[in-house]
Amino acid sequence: MNKNFTFHNKGAFLWGFLLIAMLSHQLVFAQNSRLSGRITDTDGAVIPGVNVVIKGTSTGTSSDSNGAYALDIEDQNATVVFSFIGYTTQEVPVNGRSNIDVVLQSDIQTLSEVVVVGYGSQFEKEITGAVQQLKSDELRDIPVAQMTQKLQGRLAGVQINQNTGKPGQGMQVRIRGQISLVAGSDPLYVVDGFPIVGDISNINPDEIESISVLKDAASTSLYGSRAANGVIMVTTKRAKAGITSIDFSAYYGTQVVPEKGRPEMMNGQEFAQFKKESAEDLGNTPDPAFQNPAQYGDGYDWYGGMLRSAPIQNYSVSLTSSNEKASTSAVLGYFNQDGVLKNSGFERFSLRINTEFRIGEKVKFGFNAAPLFSNANTPSTDGAFYATNQNASIPGGLLYNALLTWPILPYQNPDGSLPLTSYIPGVSAFPAPNWYRTLTEVTNETKTTRLISNAFLEFELVKGLSFKTSINVDLGNSRFVNFKPTTTSEGFAAPPPPNLSTSIRNNSNYYSWLNENILTYNTEFGDHKINILGGFTAQRYRMDFSQIRLTDFSDDRIETIQSAANVDRAQPQGVPAPQTRDDIQEWSLLSYLARVNYSFKGKYHLSVSVRRDGSSRFGSDNKWGTFPAVSAAWNVSDEEFLSNIEPISTLKVRASYGTVGNNNIGNYTQYATVSTTTNAIFGSTLAPGASRTALGNTSLGWETTKSVDVGVDLGLFDERISLVYDFYQKNTTNLLYSLAVPQESGYANFNGNIGELKFWGHEFTLSTRNTVGKVKWRTDFNISFNDNEVVALSDGVNRIYGGQNGYATLTQVGKRVGQFWGLIQDGVYVDQADFDSSPKAAASQVGTVKFRDINGDGVITYGGDNDDRTYIGNPFPTTVFGLTNNVTFNNFDLTVVLSGTDGNSLAVMTDQGATNLDGVFNVLREVKDRWRSAENPGSGKYGKTTSATGNERDWLHSRFISDGANITIRNITLGYSVPVKKTFINNVRLYTSVQNLYRFTNYRGPNPEVNAATGGDQSAVNATNMGYDWATFPVPVTYTFGLNASFK
Amino acid sequence: MTEFVKQKMNRTMKNRNSVILIALLMLGLSSCDDFLELTPEANLTSVTFFKSENDFAKAVNGAYEPLRGMYTANAWLVSEMHSDNTRYRYNPNFRATLDQESLNDFTVLPTNTLMRDNYRAHYLVIARANQILSAIDGVDFDAAVKNNLKGQALFLRALAYFNLVQYFGKIPLHLVPSTSLADVALPLSEVSDVYAQIISDGTTAASLLPDKSVQQPGRATSGAAKTLLGNVYVVLENWSAAETVLKEVVTSNKYSLVPSYADVFLTTNKNNSESVFEVQYRQGQDGYSSNFIYPWLPMPMTAAEISATFAKYGVSPTGIAAQTTEGYNIPSLDMVAAYEPGDERKAASVGTATAGGVDYPLIIKYLHPHTSATLTDDNFPVYRYAEVLLLLAEALDEQGKSAEALPYLNQVRDRAELADIVSTANLRDVIFNERRVELAFENKRWLDLARTGRAVDVMSTFGASVKANPQAYYFPPGQQPVPSAFTQIDLTFPLPADEALLSPYF
Repeated sequence: MNKNFTFHNKGAFLWGFLLIAMLSHQLVFAQNSRLSGRITDTDGAVIPGVNVVIKGTSTGTSSDSNGAYALDIEDQNATVVFSFIGYTTQEVPVNGRSNIDVVLQSDIQTLSEVVVVGYGSQFEKEITGAVQQLKSDELRDIPVAQMTQKLQGRLAGVQINQNTGKPGQGMQVRIRGQISLVAGSDPLYVVDGFPIVGDISNINPDEIESISVLKDAASTSLYGSRAANGVIMVTTKRAKAGITSIDFSAYYGTQVVPEKGRPEMMNGQEFAQFKKESAEDLGNTPDPAFQNPAQYGDGYDWYGGMLRSAPIQNYSVSLTSSNEKASTSAVLGYFNQDGVLKNSGFERFSLRINTEFRIGEKVKFGFNAAPLFSNANTPSTDGAFYATNQNASIPGGLLYNALLTWPILPYQNPDGSLPLTSYIPGVSAFPAPNWYRTLTEVTNETKTTRLISNAFLEFELVKGLSFKTSINVDLGNSRFVNFKPTTTSEGFAAPPPPNLSTSIRNNSNYYSWLNENILTYNTEFGDHKINILGGFTAQRYRMDFSQIRLTDFSDDRIETIQSAANVDRAQPQGVPAPQTRDDIQEWSLLSYLARVNYSFKGKYHLSVSVRRDGSSRFGSDNKWGTFPAVSAAWNVSDEEFLSNIEPISTLKVRASYGTVGNNNIGNYTQYATVSTTTNAIFGSTLAPGASRTALGNTSLGWETTKSVDVGVDLGLFDERISLVYDFYQKNTTNLLYSLAVPQESGYANFNGNIGELKFWGHEFTLSTRNTVGKVKWRTDFNISFNDNEVVALSDGVNRIYGGQNGYATLTQVGKRVGQFWGLIQDGVYVDQADFDSSPKAAASQVGTVKFRDINGDGVITYGGDNDDRTYIGNPFPTTVFGLTNNVTFNNFDLTVVLSGTDGNSLAVMTDQGATNLDGVFNVLREVKDRWRSAENPGSGKYGKTTSATGNERDWLHSRFISDGANITIRNITLGYSVPVKKTFINNVRLYTSVQNLYRFTNYRGPNPEVNAATGGDQSAVNATNMGYDWATFPVPVTYTFGLNASFK
Repeated sequence: MTEFVKQKMNRTMKNRNSVILIALLMLGLSSCDDFLELTPEANLTSVTFFKSENDFAKAVNGAYEPLRGMYTANAWLVSEMHSDNTRYRYNPNFRATLDQESLNDFTVLPTNTLMRDNYRAHYLVIARANQILSAIDGVDFDAAVKNNLKGQALFLRALAYFNLVQYFGKIPLHLVPSTSLADVALPLSEVSDVYAQIISDGTTAASLLPDKSVQQPGRATSGAAKTLLGNVYVVLENWSAAETVLKEVVTSNKYSLVPSYADVFLTTNKNNSESVFEVQYRQGQDGYSSNFIYPWLPMPMTAAEISATFAKYGVSPTGIAAQTTEGYNIPSLDMVAAYEPGDERKAASVGTATAGGVDYPLIIKYLHPHTSATLTDDNFPVYRYAEVLLLLAEALDEQGKSAEALPYLNQVRDRAELADIVSTANLRDVIFNERRVELAFENKRWLDLARTGRAVDVMSTFGASVKANPQAYYFPPGQQPVPSAFTQIDLTFPLPADEALLSPYF
C-alpha cells in the first residue's frame, strides 16, 4: 500500500479487514526465489493484466499497471508463459534469470474472445448470431446500484431507461425495441446459466464478470418460450487458473438533483397574484389571503423542499483462488444509497461464493450460492396526485402533490416545527395534509432476502461426450410495511390530518427451481468441428403472498398488528382485489432442447437448434410450442482472395432465422375463474357469493416471434477500426393481449392471441483505436434505428385503446404501437367572433381552449363516433445511441460515456394539475399568460380561469406532448493508477466519477427516460401506455470518489 | 489393471451413466402432463364450479352483488339527478364533475362514464344470471330450492333489462353466458323483443318464486316479480295486464303500508311489511355498507358543518371529515314546492344542511344513525307496496276505471296525512304528482317523465327556470350552466362510447 495517500471514509472497517487478510496472505506465499520483469507492447507501452504462469502448473500472477510482474519460482529451469488477450502468447524459459522483460506482439487472430452464449460459450469467430458481450472491467467506476444502469449507452440496439430515481429501482431494458402489448417486454435474465425470476436489479454489480446480450432469435431460441424479448446472460466472477488474488473496491459520493427540468411553478407572490386576478375576472372580491400578493415574496418551494443531497457508497471485497483440484471465488459487498427525496434509501448486503471441484480430468462439480439482503424505504411517489396512496401496489403521487401545493403555505414553520396541514380552511378547495410530513413520517419499507444458488455435476462419458446435470434454486422473501401515522393523509382531497392511522403490510415468499440435464458431444475430424447438445429441463415457480390492511393504531409510535383496532377487509373502487387477502401464484415449464454447431475449416459455421416448451400458463389445447432456429456465418477474411487486401483484418458475414416465444401473460389467465368475493347481504346476514368473473380461453397459446438477422463484422487496419452491422426484422404473431371486450358480456377482458407486430432496425457498432502507444484513445460508438408497425389485429379488433386514466393511446393496423391519441390545440377562443365562427365542444366558451376540428363536422368531440382526436406523438424512440471515449495516458485514464435517443415524445402528465385553471393548485409560471379578456388574450396556450377547465385538463391534447429527444452525459470517470512497489499489491487505482452530469434536451420535464403509471406502479406500464410522466422521483447527478486495489 | 478389467469397468460406467440418464429422462416425461397442470389456488374455476346446489346458491348471491355498487355509485345519477327533482351545487374549486353535471343539465355525451358504469353494472347482473340459468338444469337437486334459485336469477335479469331498455332503448339481449371472443357482443335487439323477454322472465319468476312470507327477507319474491311485471305493463301501457298482476300482489295480503312514512326507511325497519324489493346494505368496514347520503351533502362542507347538520337528525357517526368536492342530488326548489301543505312526507324526506352559512335542502329519508362516517346502513328501495298501489291506481284510471282507482291512491295519501281525493278529474295528473312526492329520491322521476311523454316539456321549462336564476339552483354568483344545457331533451341515453368502440354492432 502506498503511504502517500490515506483513506478517509466509512469503509475503514473493511480496510482494516483487508490489511489483515493481506498480511496472512503474505505469510503463506512469501518464499522461494523471485523472478520479475516488465511487459510492454511493440510500441513500448506497458501492458497491465498480462497472465504470467509457470508452464505446467497453476502458479502465476499478472502484470500490474506499470506492466511489472514478480513471481516466486522453485524450479530455475521452468518455462514461464505470458499471455494476454489480443497478443501472441510467449513461452520463455527462465534459465536461472531473475529478471525477464517481455515484448508481446499483438495478434489479431486471438482477438477472438470467448463469448458466453445460451447453454455454453463460443469463440467470437464462431458466433453465428447477434450477440454482444461486455466485460465488467469496461463498466467499472460507475456509481449505481444495479448492473443494467451501467449498461446505458453501451449496447447497440438495447434501450435502457431509468424510469425513476428511486434508489435501487427503475431500470427498463428493451432489446431491439421489443414490446408486447401486455405480455411482459423485459428480457430474460440468465445468471450463470439459470433463468432467474425477475431481473438482476438486486444483484451486486461487483459480482458480475461479464454480460452477454443475445439479440436475435437464433441466439435466444434455446430459451424458447421466454426468449422473445432477448436474453441477458450474466456470468459471475470465477477464479482464473493459477491466480489467487484479493480485490477491494470502494466509492463514496454525493447525489444532487439538477436544476434543469424541475417544473417551473409560480412562487408565493405570483400565485397570490394569480388567485387575485381569478377572483377579479369573475367579478368577485379576492379573498383576504390574496389581496396583497407582495407579502409572500418567493414563498415556499414545496418541490425543492422535499429534496436533499444524499450520499451513496459501496464497498466490496472479492477473493479468488484456483488450483488443479478446486477453484473458489467469493465477493462480499455492501451498498448504501440514500435517495435524493427525503426519507428514501436503499441498502444491500450481498455475498456470492462460486466453487468448482475437479476429480481427475473427467468429473467436475460445483456449488454456487449468492445470498443477499436489502432494505429499501421508498416514499409513495411516481403517480398522479389523485392516486390513492393507500395500497402497496398503487403508491400514489406524493411528489406531484407537493408540486401542486400553494406556495404561500409553509411546509416548515420558522421555528422548525411542522404544520399538520397545507390548506386554508374555507379558502382552499381541498384539505391537504402537510406533504412534507407525509414524506418524512410515513414508513414504506421493503426488506428483501434472496438466495440464488445452484449445484452441478459434469462428467465425461467417453471422449468428447459429457453430461451435465444441475439444480438451480432462486428463492426470496420480501416483506413490505407501510405505516401512516395520524399526522399524515392518504392522498389528494382525503380527510386532513389528524386521521386514523393505517397500515398495509404484506409478505411474499417465492421459490423457483430448475433442473437441467444436458448432454454435449464435441468432436473434430479433418476440417470439421462439430458440437452437439441435447437435453431437457424442468422448472417450477411458486409464490405465496399475504397482505393485511389495518386501521386505527393506538399510538403512532407502535406499528405492530395487535395495536391496530381494525382489520380493513373492504375492496376500494379501482383496486383489483380486497386489501386484506392471500394470493398464490404458480407456473411450471418443461422443455426439450437440441443444438448442432458445425464449423468447416474454421471459416464456415452453421448452427441449428430447436427447443420444445410446455407451459402451465396456456390453455389445454395449446400448451406446447416448438421454437426452431438456424444461423450461419462465414469468415470471409480467412479466404485466400481477401488475404492480399491489406486493410481488411476481419470480415465475417452472418445470417440467422429463428422462432422464439413469450409466455409472460401471468398465471391462470386461460381459466374462467370464479371469484368467491361476490357476497350479498340479506337483512343484515352475509350470504357468501361466487361468480365467474373471467372469460376462459382453452386455446390461449404462445406469442411467437419470428426473427431474421443479417450481420457483418468488419475489422480494418489490424483491428484499429472495427465495425459491426446488423439488420433485423421480427414479426411477433399471436400477440398475447388482455383485450377489452364489450362489457355487455359481463366481462371486461378476454385473454387471447390477437394480432401481429413487426419490428425492424439497423444497428451499428463502431470501435476505433484512435491512438495507440503512450496515449491510448479508444472510441466506441453504437447507434440503432428501430421502428415498429402493427401488421394485423384479429377479427373483431380494429383498434386498441390504451393509455392512462383516459389519456389515450391508439394501436391500429398499419401504424406504430401505442401512439399518443389526442386533440390538437389551436389557441383559445379569443373573442366572441372567434367563438361564433369556430367549431366548439359542449363546454366551450369564449376564452377557453380551442381544439382543431379534425373530422370537419363543426363540433369538437373527444372519443365516441365523431372523434376529433388524431396522432399527436410517438413514445418509442426511433434512434438510440451511445458513445464511449476512453483515453489512457501514463497512469491516468479518462472515460466519457454519452447516450441518448431521438424520435420519441412524452406526455407531461404533471400538466393535468399544474395547468389546472380552477385555482385549486399551484400552477406553472407560464400560466400567467393566459386568456383574461379579448383585449388580454395571453399566449394562446391557456384559457380563462372563470369557467371549468375540464376539457383542456381532462382531454389529452398536443399541449401535453413534449419532445423527448436527448443526449445525456451518462458518465465521466477520471482515474489514476498509483505506482506501487510492494510486491503483494497488484495495483491501486483512484478515480473520480460523475454520473448523469447533464442532459441536452428540449424535454421540459426532469427525465426524458420516464415511463410512469397513473398509480405510480411501474409494472403497470406496457406498450399501450408508454411515455407518461407523472412527477417521478428525480434522477440525480452523482459525484463520487473511489478506489480499486488488488492484492495477491 | 488388465485391459479386460479396464474395458469391463468402462462398460459398467457407461451402463450406469446411461441408466441414470434414462431414469432422469423418464422422470421428466412421465409426470409431464401433471407437471404443467396448475390451477389457481386463490380462485375457483368454471371447471370446478356450478356443480352443486350450494354452488348455485352462491352464484345467485353473486348475482345480487352488483346492485350494491350500482345503487350507491350511479343509479341515482342517471335517474333522480337526470330530472327536475334535484340539482348539484356548482363548486368552482372542484371541476372533476362534468359527467355528473351533464346528466343534470341534459348535455350527456356518449362518453359519460357514469351512464356507462350504470349500463355495465346492469349487464354484470345479467351475465351472472345467465351463468346460473344456463347451467342449473344440468345439475340435479331439490326442485323447490332449484325453482327458488332460478326464480331469483330470472327476476334479476328481468329487472336489469327493464332498467336498460328504459334508459337506452335498443340494447344487446344476452340470454346465455358469453364464453369466447365470438359471443361477447350481440346486435342490438328491438325494444319490443327486449320487453317480450322481460315479460317472459318476469312471468316465469313469479311462478317459480315463493311469496314474501316464506322467502328470506331481502331476496326476490313472487310479489316482487309481479310488481316488476306490473311496472313493465304500465310502461307498455298494457293497462289491463298491469291491473291483473298488480291486483294479485294486493290480494296476496302479504303487503301493507307502514303506518308512518318516515318509518318505511328506518335502518331498524329493513324489509318491512311495505317492502317489495330493496337493495341490501350493512354498515361496517367489511365493504357492504351504503354511502349515498354523503355525496348528497351540499358540498363543500367543513366537518363541523356536516356534524351540525347530522346532529339535527340525530345522526352522529365517528370520523366525520370535511367534504370538499361538489354536492349532488340536492332537492330542487321545484321538488320542495311539489309537496302539498300538510304532507307528512315532506318533513320525512327533505331537511336542510347549512354549508358556508347558506341553507340547502337535503335528502333525509335515508339519513339514519350509523357508526362510522361514510359507512351507512341504509337500504335503497326498488319497489314498495305504496308504488304497487299507485301503479294499480294508474292502470285502473287509464282504463277509465277512475273511481276504482281512488281507494288505492287514497291509501297512500292517508298514510301521508293528506285528504282523500274524491274527484276523478285530472286523476292522471294527480297520480303522477303523487308518484313524484311519494317516491321522491327513489330513482323514479326521470323514467316517469320519459314514459308519460312529459319529459321534453317539463325539463325544458325547468331548464329555462335554472338558466333564468342560476343562483336559486345552487350556482355561486357569476356562474351559470353551460350555454348548451337543456337545449336538447333526449328520452334515452346514447349507448356508451366505450362500449360502442368495442362492439361491432353499434
